[in-house]
Amino acid sequence: MAPTDLVQFSGHHHLRLRLVLSILSGKAVRIDKIRSDDKNPGLRDFEISLLRLLEKVTNGTVIEISVTGTAILLKPGIISGGPLVHDCPLSRSIGYFLEPIVMLAPFAKKPLQLTLRGITTDEHDLSVDLFRTVTLPHLQLFGISDGLELRIKRRGAPPAGGGEAQFLCPILKQVKTLNFVEPGKIKRIRGIAHAVRVNPQFSNRMIEASRSILNRYIPDIYLYSDVYKGEESGKSPGYALSLLAESTTSALHCSEAISQPGVAPEDIALQATRALLAEIDKGGCVDRQHQTLVLLMMVLGSEDVGRCRMGEPTLRTIQFLRDVRSFFGTSFKITTADPLDKECSHLLYSCYGTGYINANRTVA
Amino acid sequence: MDERPHKAHRPSTSGGKVDKKDKGKGKEKQHGFNEKAFAPKSGRRADRQGRRNVERDQTRLHVPLVNRTPDSEPPPVIIAIVGPPGVGKTTLLKSLVRRYTKQTLNDVKGPVTVVSGKKRRLTFIECNNDLNSMIDIGKIADLVLLMVDGSFGFEMETFEFLNVLQSHGFPKVIGILTHLDLIKKAATLKDTKKALKKRFWTEIYQGAKLFYLSGVLNGRYPDTEILNLSRFVSVMKFRPLVFRNAHPYLLADRIEDLTPREQVRQSKGKCDRNVTVYGYVRGTNLRLGTKVHIPGVGDLEMKSVTILGDPCPLPDADSEKRRKLSEKKKLLIHAPMSDIGGVMYDKDAVWINVPGSFTRGNADVPQGEGEQMVMDLQDAGATLEDGVAQSHIRLFGSSSKHLTVEAAVDDDDESDGYEDEDESGEEEEDDSGIESDDSDNDDGEETAPHPHSTGRSTRRDVKRTLPTASTSKVQRADVEYAESDSDLGDEDEDEGLGKRFRMEDGDALDIPSDDDEGEADEGEDDEEEAAPKWKSNLAAKAQAASSNSRRRKDWMKLIYSSGLTPEEVLSGKEEDQMAVEEEEDDGEFFRFKNVSIKDVDDEVDASKEGWKEEDLKKWEDDDMLDSIRGLFITGPVTQDGGEAEGEGYEDAEDAGGDFEDLEAGDGAAPRASEPMKAESSRAAALAAKKEELKRKFDEQYDDPESSKVDFYTEKKDEISRQLQLNIEEFKDVPAESRALVEGFRPGTYVRIELTDVPCEMIEHFDPAYPIIVGGLLPAEERFGYVQVRIKRHRWYVKTLKTNDPLIFSLGWRRFQSVPIYSLDDHSIRMRMLKYTPEHMHCYATFYGPVSLPNTGFCAFNSLAAETPGFRMSATGVVLDIDRSVKIVKKIKLTGVPYKIFKNTAFVRDMFSTALEVAKFEGANIRTVSGIRGQVKKGLSKPDGAFRATFEDKVLKSDIIFLRAWYSIQPRKFYNPVTSLLLSDKSQWTGMRLTGQVRRDEGIKTPLNVNSTYKRIERPERRFNPLIIPKKLQAALPYASKPRLMKPQRQQTYMQKRAVVMEPEERKAVALLQQIRALRKDQVARRKEKKSEKKAVHQKKVEKEEERKGEKVKERKKEVMRATGRKSKREAEAEEGRGPKRRKTQK
Repeated sequence: MAPTDLVQFSGHHHLRLRLVLSILSGKAVRIDKIRSDDKNPGLRDFEISLLRLLEKVTNGTVIEISVTGTAILLKPGIISGGPLVHDCPLSRSIGYFLEPIVMLAPFAKKPLQLTLRGITTDEHDLSVDLFRTVTLPHLQLFGISDGLELRIKRRGAPPAGGGEAQFLCPILKQVKTLNFVEPGKIKRIRGIAHAVRVNPQFSNRMIEASRSILNRYIPDIYLYSDVYKGEESGKSPGYALSLLAESTTSALHCSEAISQPGVAPEDIALQATRALLAEIDKGGCVDRQHQTLVLLMMVLGSEDVGRCRMGEPTLRTIQFLRDVRSFFGTSFKITTADPLDKECSHLLYSCYGTGYINANRTVA
Repeated sequence: MDERPHKAHRPSTSGGKVDKKDKGKGKEKQHGFNEKAFAPKSGRRADRQGRRNVERDQTRLHVPLVNRTPDSEPPPVIIAIVGPPGVGKTTLLKSLVRRYTKQTLNDVKGPVTVVSGKKRRLTFIECNNDLNSMIDIGKIADLVLLMVDGSFGFEMETFEFLNVLQSHGFPKVIGILTHLDLIKKAATLKDTKKALKKRFWTEIYQGAKLFYLSGVLNGRYPDTEILNLSRFVSVMKFRPLVFRNAHPYLLADRIEDLTPREQVRQSKGKCDRNVTVYGYVRGTNLRLGTKVHIPGVGDLEMKSVTILGDPCPLPDADSEKRRKLSEKKKLLIHAPMSDIGGVMYDKDAVWINVPGSFTRGNADVPQGEGEQMVMDLQDAGATLEDGVAQSHIRLFGSSSKHLTVEAAVDDDDESDGYEDEDESGEEEEDDSGIESDDSDNDDGEETAPHPHSTGRSTRRDVKRTLPTASTSKVQRADVEYAESDSDLGDEDEDEGLGKRFRMEDGDALDIPSDDDEGEADEGEDDEEEAAPKWKSNLAAKAQAASSNSRRRKDWMKLIYSSGLTPEEVLSGKEEDQMAVEEEEDDGEFFRFKNVSIKDVDDEVDASKEGWKEEDLKKWEDDDMLDSIRGLFITGPVTQDGGEAEGEGYEDAEDAGGDFEDLEAGDGAAPRASEPMKAESSRAAALAAKKEELKRKFDEQYDDPESSKVDFYTEKKDEISRQLQLNIEEFKDVPAESRALVEGFRPGTYVRIELTDVPCEMIEHFDPAYPIIVGGLLPAEERFGYVQVRIKRHRWYVKTLKTNDPLIFSLGWRRFQSVPIYSLDDHSIRMRMLKYTPEHMHCYATFYGPVSLPNTGFCAFNSLAAETPGFRMSATGVVLDIDRSVKIVKKIKLTGVPYKIFKNTAFVRDMFSTALEVAKFEGANIRTVSGIRGQVKKGLSKPDGAFRATFEDKVLKSDIIFLRAWYSIQPRKFYNPVTSLLLSDKSQWTGMRLTGQVRRDEGIKTPLNVNSTYKRIERPERRFNPLIIPKKLQAALPYASKPRLMKPQRQQTYMQKRAVVMEPEERKAVALLQQIRALRKDQVARRKEKKSEKKAVHQKKVEKEEERKGEKVKERKKEVMRATGRKSKREAEAEEGRGPKRRKTQK
């Protein structure tokens, strides 16, 4: 491989997105100085696990990890998909592993059926509920819809986990170009409250507390109490509330709060609700958690201009935009969405798609 | 003419005519639309008619395809002229060029671009007879003029070319029959035309256009015929081809070697070259950062791409007006390889070709544009500086192209270019050093379109000579993106800072910022150097600007061209503060590494974006909660339309923004534009609102059925809407930075600098062989196993064998690889085939560069011209790309039983170790006689022996075999056809077959003794008689009882008796015997006689035959002699006209 096909990074930050970009673009990536100054240098167990998962999902990928574990070299193969099972370590939740997989799966050779076992909800990553209700609808914007599903087989709260989720994703030839500039107005709010291995009343208490704030806005509010019993409820006790608001143009905003020791479920619910309101206040067509996903799909779109209105980029997004440029050579045009309104913090992201075609797909 | 008005017609009011008309009044009405005539006679007929109409409508529809070629400034249409040698290709090209430009070309080399109309340019290219060229041309030609010698008929190359076209997307083809004047007889001519047309139609499609060109006049085809042809060409419409619609490509019309001469000399011409190719971008947008493939050379890296002025621009109203009367006749032509036109515009130079001895003064000779320019230069009265001092620069009154200041100042010749190349590298490194001392110059420095781009020295000159307002104007032209920020002095990212972070970033900046000087820098600048006037109070202005309104961040600049970390970008850390800090730091030699110290590990790679405590805290407030009611559908309808309106005219708004900061230095302009902008935006808002209302009204009141469109129109609308959006979105972005975001659009004339080009390409360059630069998609740069569906071409005589090298033409590439053929075996496995099947598709898998699925290809066994017969051996389509393959072939392991129990047998000779047995435990085995069994367990003693069980007892003589599948991998062999690197371009040879090598080297085929066929001697098998125990016999049913009858030992009754005949009886028997003997003898004699007679007759007949044959022979000879004489006469008559044709086909 020519040296120009190698992209170099240092540091453990943004590891997932860089690996995803490498696999999608086919350029080898070398990441060094991974926690080289740390007391405990090198890759963490969940990162190793992620690399293993990527190796399973792809065919022909070469991953070289240095002896100290502070540098990796990934020469990507093709994304193969198919039925797979992966056990996630308990240090991170399923969401950590699912996020890169969601970006890769539509471009696989065969439809992916991935079963992930581990923690389903934690404080760092999107829970499986939000994945099901928010992330997957975002993929629908790009024409990935038929057969796209996340089944929550079991719930597993930290620390012991024991949850299981199955992700089914169809393959597609080319991503549709996005043109999403109307944020619309919030028309409905949905939510899922779940409590495992604790008093089932907890979820009802959360719902009540949340409704106390949300009821003033719109009547179309349904907060479900999701009950899992016995085997299906995992190994540890825990509860959480995830909320999502959908606008008239089906822009989605979401928030989530999970149980903390010594905090009443009502407070958890209020936390989630306020976070949702803050998210709605931020506005835009895509919420902060999904900026990278949407931007990536825009880059991979056909050779047309895709546009999307969003809030200010997050840290991850900023680095992601830079990484996208080094992998795909595509940069975004970012202008304020509403030049008349001085207070408007929305930005309009537009880019010229790379015309990415799923070369892995088999014809006939 | 007399001006008298004609007398008006006065219709008669009486008489026969009037009566007739009156009578016919009733019928009069029927002259219009006669319903009956078109109404179907019966219901069945109506049904059929209706169906036919619907069907016909459907045939008109094609899958809606996006056409990536812009409508406004499309690249020239490539018209390839293809045909066997001697058919008149060059003559046609010359005739066509003369038709468009009124110039006669003497020597045509390479592509010739001409303007053919208001909206169309044509690039003509002649294709030589080499198969490589034909393949390449077939991949890029929009229209093929396929020339066929009418007097000879189709030749093999023509068919080969048509088949190449078929596998790479069929462009439009017009057939042209030439040499028709050689056919004298009108009837023969008619028949020939008809026959050729029929053949041509079956090859292309029924009704394909076929032109007839009669003889050559003055070295050209008759003008009327060429005119007709050019009319057809000018109205031709092109449907986008899928492959070309997904790949950028260009046909190089010029190629220059930029390698320093010294380096070439030192390496004796063997060093890799830096080469620039020039051409119009076609297909999709060409982007930097991707690789390109030049068929015949290989994959190459694009170092830089520069937009050049169009050398053959489409005429606009302005240029038409400026064209002199004398030039009116002479139209634009661009053919650098043929050295026509005289003037070439490069990035930093203008090349003027003048004829051998160039003297001014002889005005009677018409001068070309270039000569005129040279003379104008000589004429220049005032010095350059004087000229520059005037605001408007026009060096030559006649120059069609606007000369920029840089070009004008550039007084060195080509050596300058090379110097620049060298310098650019080091300049990058010590950028900061240079810029710190003359930092008011770094405006220009930093705005260079690409870090590698040359032309530094010229810029520097400009700065030295022109410290006036005009500099800013020039620089504006290539200011990058960042100009859209109305930030005069806010982005004072100082150089040291930028540099430091750039190293972290790891990639050179693609979109360089225009580093406006910051406040911090500004002070220093003033001390160092007298800043231009407009810059003097920049800082103050900036201060004012930032104070009166909270300025927006320019995200693009912050993200893409600043070296800030994401945290700093977000926190909105004032960059001037940073700058100050950095300034301080710069003084010291060492710097504390305080950035990475902060507890890194605390921030995990989390996708959930948390909220800060205070962000959530504020939502406890009821007022806060009420404040976002507007965001819900139930909320108050205050600024309802506001957002929607905002979208509509943001483009205009952006433009305004640009304007503002561009002219920020001037001060006055933006204020003037302010009210205007407001006015226009209000008007736009109103218009948008009206539009919206109208749409709503239409929606409500129009018939919902009528507004419903079918799928086809809907798709087409969608495509056109998207294309419109594509154009609109980046309209206000300057060309250079636009190129960085969306690439170079089709239709722009670019110069691509390629690095590490093999020197042979330059040394053996031949303009007759086209140079195509094909852009590769990211996926296509990789290698892997490609699975294709393949079919041997029905005209290819041999069959194809697995593991024989084959030359593929796939995507842009031509390469040799080693395929393995296979077939799908019951969807269970891919089973290897030794040979391709007859008349059937099969799969082939080979190692090579990846192409997207559904790409067509064709394959050849040899590309050499001397290959007899049809050269294309197979065609097919790519199905699948993978990094591993699973093709299997059958393997049978055999063994023999050495110990047999009831249903168990011990088998040996199948495996050699117990380990192998362990691997096959449980595998199905079978005897030759069909008894099935299973491998049970390995035995310890004879190595590799095992115990097996069968459904029945096996014989010791049985052979036991195990059917298994052995997976095979295609060889990793990839050999690009580097035909352009050869001095004799048609002589490329790839890997040869073993047999070929042996033949060439005179080596005998080694013979394995075990492979020779010998007589098989099988010993007679003896079977012991079957013995059934008595007891069992008794128990058997009667039918199954063995028939155990012993031969009769006693004599029978008749045997015991002796027969004694009576004397008469004996006599009678003797007589009968005699009669029989006689009869036998008679028959024998008769037979003999008959055969004798037959022989005689045979002889007679033979003689007769011979005589007859002689007669026929004589008659044939007569006829042949006559025809021979006739053809000879004809040939003699034709000897005078036309060149003698060289026939290539044996």
